[in-house]
Amino acid sequence: MKVLGTQLAGVAKRPARMLLTGLAVLVASFVVYATVLAQQITERTALDGLSGTPAAVDLVIGSGDEFGNSVQLSTGDVAKFRGLPGVAEVAARVEASGEVNGDYLNIVSDPGTGPLASVTVKQGAYPSAPGEIAVTPRTADRMGLPVGTVATVNTEWDDKGKPIKPVKLKVTGLVEGDSDYGFSAYAPQASVSPLLGKDADYVQRVDLRLEPGADAAAVQSAAERIIAAAPAPKEGFARAQVRTGDDVRRAEAEEAASEVNEVFIAVGVFVAVAVCAAGLVATSTFRIVFAQRMRQLALLRAVGAGRGALWRALAAEGALTGLVAGVVGVLGALALGYAVPPIAGAFDVDLASPGLPVLPAVGVVLLAVAITVLAVLAPAFSAAKVAPLEALRSASVTSGRKSIGKLRGAFGLVLAGGAGLLAAYVSMNLPTRDARNYDPEPMLLAVVGSGALAFFALMALGPLLVRPVLATVGWPLRRLGPIGRLAVGGVGGAPRRAAAVSVVVALGVTLIAGVVVTGASVRVLADREMASSVPADYELTANGDEQVPSALVEQAKASADLTHVTPYRRLPEVQVGGGSDTKLTATDLVMSGLPALDKIDVNGGSLAAVGPGKVALAAIATEISGLKVGDITTLTAGKKKVKVEVVATLPDSAPLQSGIVVDPADLTKLGAPATFSGMLADAAKGGEDGRTAGQKAMRQLTQGHAGLGVDVLADQRDQFNTVLNGVLAVVIGLVGLTVLIAVVGVGTTTALSVVERVRESGLLRAVGLSRGSLRMMLTAESSLYGVIGATIGVVLGVPYAWLALKALGVNAPLELPVGQLVVVFLVLVLFTAAAGVLPARRAAKVSPVAALATD
Amino acid sequence: MYTQSQADVPTTSAAGGPDGRLTAVAAEDLVKVYGSGDTAVRALDGVTVGFARAQFTAIMGPSGSGKSTLMHCLAGLDTATSGRALLGGTDLTVQPDRVLTKVRRERIGFVFQSFNLLPQLTAEQNITLPLDLAGRTPERGLLAHLTEVLGLAGRLKHRPSELSGGQQQRVALARALVARPEVVFADEPTGNLDSRSGAEVLSFLRNSVRDLGQTVVMVTHDPGAAAYADRVVLLADGRIAGEIDRPDRASVAEALQSLGNHR
Repeated sequence: MKVLGTQLAGVAKRPARMLLTGLAVLVASFVVYATVLAQQITERTALDGLSGTPAAVDLVIGSGDEFGNSVQLSTGDVAKFRGLPGVAEVAARVEASGEVNGDYLNIVSDPGTGPLASVTVKQGAYPSAPGEIAVTPRTADRMGLPVGTVATVNTEWDDKGKPIKPVKLKVTGLVEGDSDYGFSAYAPQASVSPLLGKDADYVQRVDLRLEPGADAAAVQSAAERIIAAAPAPKEGFARAQVRTGDDVRRAEAEEAASEVNEVFIAVGVFVAVAVCAAGLVATSTFRIVFAQRMRQLALLRAVGAGRGALWRALAAEGALTGLVAGVVGVLGALALGYAVPPIAGAFDVDLASPGLPVLPAVGVVLLAVAITVLAVLAPAFSAAKVAPLEALRSASVTSGRKSIGKLRGAFGLVLAGGAGLLAAYVSMNLPTRDARNYDPEPMLLAVVGSGALAFFALMALGPLLVRPVLATVGWPLRRLGPIGRLAVGGVGGAPRRAAAVSVVVALGVTLIAGVVVTGASVRVLADREMASSVPADYELTANGDEQVPSALVEQAKASADLTHVTPYRRLPEVQVGGGSDTKLTATDLVMSGLPALDKIDVNGGSLAAVGPGKVALAAIATEISGLKVGDITTLTAGKKKVKVEVVATLPDSAPLQSGIVVDPADLTKLGAPATFSGMLADAAKGGEDGRTAGQKAMRQLTQGHAGLGVDVLADQRDQFNTVLNGVLAVVIGLVGLTVLIAVVGVGTTTALSVVERVRESGLLRAVGLSRGSLRMMLTAESSLYGVIGATIGVVLGVPYAWLALKALGVNAPLELPVGQLVVVFLVLVLFTAAAGVLPARRAAKVSPVAALATD
Repeated sequence: MYTQSQADVPTTSAAGGPDGRLTAVAAEDLVKVYGSGDTAVRALDGVTVGFARAQFTAIMGPSGSGKSTLMHCLAGLDTATSGRALLGGTDLTVQPDRVLTKVRRERIGFVFQSFNLLPQLTAEQNITLPLDLAGRTPERGLLAHLTEVLGLAGRLKHRPSELSGGQQQRVALARALVARPEVVFADEPTGNLDSRSGAEVLSFLRNSVRDLGQTVVMVTHDPGAAAYADRVVLLADGRIAGEIDRPDRASVAEALQSLGNHR
C-alpha cells in the first residue's frame, strides 16, 4: 500500500499532467454528457412546444388515438356539448381539402381568436364571414395567395374527375400555426363545414374549455353520455372518446419525443465509437507517461516494491485520472448545457433548460473511470515489469521497443486475414445489377465485421506500417530540407507511439471518408433517378382526355422565365415484340431537350442514339421481351406496327414513367394524335426568384384551361437534396466526434513526446537549430501523425464504402469524390498540426542548457 | 558585490594567449548569477580569461566551480548576468537568440559527455546535421578525412543505437569538426567512456589542434584528460584560480589538490 500512496501522492502533485493524460477521456465524458443534456433539452423543448393542442383545452372529444379510425360528431351533439354545465367555450374542429390551380389545399377550422385558437394572426384579419380564409405565410408564397386574393377552390369532382361547384374564397389574413407545410388554410368552423358537401353536418373533433372551478370529471361523464346516446358510427368510423387536454397534449408531445429518442439512439452509436477512440488514446497516453517514469518505477522496484504492488498503484492512478477527467468533463458539459438555452434565447430560439440528470452524470463518471482503468491495464502491466537495473542506467531517452512481438504480429495477421476473407466473401457474392429477392442485411453486417477486423489488425500491426507509410507520405516533407527530415525521423523513431495515435486518427478518417464516398454515390444515384422521374423543374399535365394545345407550347417557349421547353406525347398500350401481350406506355420525349436527361443511367447503348426507327427500352420492356441493344423488333399499337432497333436499355423506368422512348415520327406512325400530352420546362434563371418566376409563368399558361395543371417537380428535387445534405452534415458531425478525440490524442502525444525529448530539442538548439525551426519541426511531427492516420483512413475508408454500397444492392455508382477527400485530408492534417502548436511552443522556449541538463 | 581586483587574476588577459597567439574566444569580467535574493548563487564571479587560437585548453576545477557555466556562456548557450563573452570580435552576451543560433551553427562545435546523437539519424546524418541546418554542403575532403581518422568509414550508415559508446563519441567529434568551427567546446567528453576509448578521443582532439589548427576548449575534472591539453585553466568558486602551461598528470593533480586544500 505504501507504493500506492507514493504513486498517488506524486500524481496529485501534478494535476495539470493528470488532466493532460486524461484529456481524451475528459473530452469523451464531455461529449457523452453533452449528448445526454442535448437529448434532455430536445425532449423538454418538444414536450413544451410540439403539441398542437392549445394549453387552454381541458377536454378533447374525438378519436381515441392518433392512428385509429376517425370519428364523426354531429353538429347537434356539438351544441349539446356547448350546453353542458361548466363548459365555457367549445371549438369544433373539421378539415376540408380542396384544389387551387391544381395544387392541394388543406382547410382547417379554428376559432382564430381566444384561448382555444391554435393559430395566431400575423397579417390582415382572421376570416369572420363565409367565403373567407386565412393562409400560412409559406402557403401564400407557394400557392400565390397573398392577402386580398380570391382563390377558386375545387372541393368536389364528378366521376370523370371534372371539378364541380368551385368555390371562391377570399384570403383575409396570414396566420402561423404549430407547423407550416405550405398548403394550409384556416377559417372558422362555420365557414369550413359547408365545403364538406354531404358531410357538412359532422365535425371530427371538439375541444372544450371549462369554466374555472368546474368539475372536469362530471363534464367528461356528461359528454360521454351524449356520445353514447348518438346513433352508432358509420362504416369505417369509430365512436368518439373523451380525453383530458393534458392527456392529448402529452400523447402528441410523446409522439414527437419518441422521434427525438430514435434520433438520439443513432447519435449514441457514434458517441460509442468516439468513447472507444478515447480509450485507445488513453492507452497510448499511459504508455508514454509510464515510459517517462521508467527510472522512478525501476527505483521503486530496486528498493523492494513488488510487481503486483506497482501494477496496482499504476492502475489506481489510472482510475483516479479517469475519475477526475470524468468529473471535469461532466461539469464542463453541464456548464455548456446551461449556457445554451439563454444564448439560443437571445436569437429568438426557445429551448428548455436541460435540468440536472444526476443518474446519467454518475453513469458518465463511472464510464470514464471504467474506460480509463481498461486503458491503463496493459500499460501498467508492462510498466510494472521494469527491471530494477533500469534505475541505475545512465540517463538517456527512453526510446521504447520499435518492433512488435511475434505473438502480436501473428495475431494481427490472423485478424487481417479474417478481414480479407470476409471482404472477399462479400465481393464474390455481390448482387448483380438486376438481382431479385436480395437481402442486403447479412452482407452489410459482413462488411462492418470485416471493417472492424481490419481495424483491430491495424492496431496490432500498426508499428510495422508506420515506416512504409512514412517513407511514402513523408517523402515531400523530407525534400523540404533538414527540418522535414528531422520531423519524419522523429515520428519514425517511435513507430509504436506513432502507430498508436495514428490508428485513432485513421478510425476517424475511415468513418468520414466512408460517409463522404457514400454520400457522393447516393447523390449520383439520386440524380439519375431524379433525372428519370423529375427530368425538369416544371411539368404541365393534362387531366383525363385533355391535351396541351400547341399554342401553349409556343407561349411557353416565348416566356423569358422558362427554358428547355419540351413538349411530349404519350401513347398507352404499345406492345414490344410478339411474345407478350403486356402493354406499355411509349413517349416521344426528345432526349436532348433537357439537361437533366443526360444523367440517366443506361444498362447498355446510349439514349442519344434514339431516333427514327431507333428506341430505348425501360427495364420492364426488356424483361418481358428479352431484347438487347442491337436487336430489331416490332412495336404494335392496335393495328399499327413499326419496325425498330433497340439502341439503349435502361436499368429502371424510362423518363415520365414510360416503358419505351421512341422518335416522334414513329409515335405518329403508331397512331398518336398530333397534340401534346404534356410539357416539361426548366426555370430560366437560378435561385428562388427564378423558380417563383417560372412557376408563375407556368400558372399563367394554364389559366383558362380547366383540365391543365402544373407540377413543380423542382421542389421534390430540392427537398431530397436538402434532406440528403442535412443527413450528411449530421453524420459527419457525429463522426467528427471521433476525429476530435483523435486530434486530442495527437496533441497529448506530441505534448508528452516533447517533454520526453527535451534533451533532443536542447541538442538541436545547441548545434544551431533556431527556435522557429524547432517549433516548425515539432508541429510537422504532430501533423505527420495526422498524415499517417488520414492516409490509412482514406485507404481503408474508400474501398469499404464501395464494398458497402455494392453490398447494399442498389446499383449505386462507385464515386470517388477526390475534392472532398482532399479537403478531409487537409483539414485533418491542419487540425493535428494545430494540436502540436502549443507543445512545440513550450519546447522551443526551454533554453538549450536547461534541456541538455535534464536527465 | 563584486570587489575582486584585477591583480588577483593570474597572468591571463582577454587580448591574447600567454605566448602572444591570437585569441579565439575570451571572457571579460564575466558574472553569472542563478536565482535571486538569499538563494542567489554566483556561478561565475568575474571571470576574465582568453583561449588562444589553435590551442588545446582544458578548464578544470572541483564540482560547482563554474567550469560548465563558463563554457555555456562562451558558447552562446547561456546568457551572462554581466561582463562580456567574446567569440572573435563578437560579444555573445548582447546577441539575440537568432544570432546566437547562427553562431552555434556556423562558428562553434560541441562535444558532450553523453554524446547526444539523434537516435533517428544515421551516423553520417548526425555528422552533417549542423551543415544541413545551415543549408551548407559538407566539404567532401574534410568529411572523408574525419571519418578516416576517426575510424568511422564502415559505420556511416549505422544508427547510434548500433554503435558503441566510443564510436558514438567519435561521431560526435566528427559532427563538431565538420563545419570548421572557430572553437570546439568539449564538455567532459570522456566521462562516459572506458579508458581506451577516452584516450582515442583525447588524442584525436589534440591531433586536430596540431593538424587542422583547430581551437579546442575542454571542460574536465580528470587530470589524465587535462594532461592532453596545451594549457590548463583552473577554476574555483566561479573565479580563475590559476593555470598550468604544458601540463602533465602529476602537475594537474597537484594543482587540483592544492585548490581543494585551499578551500
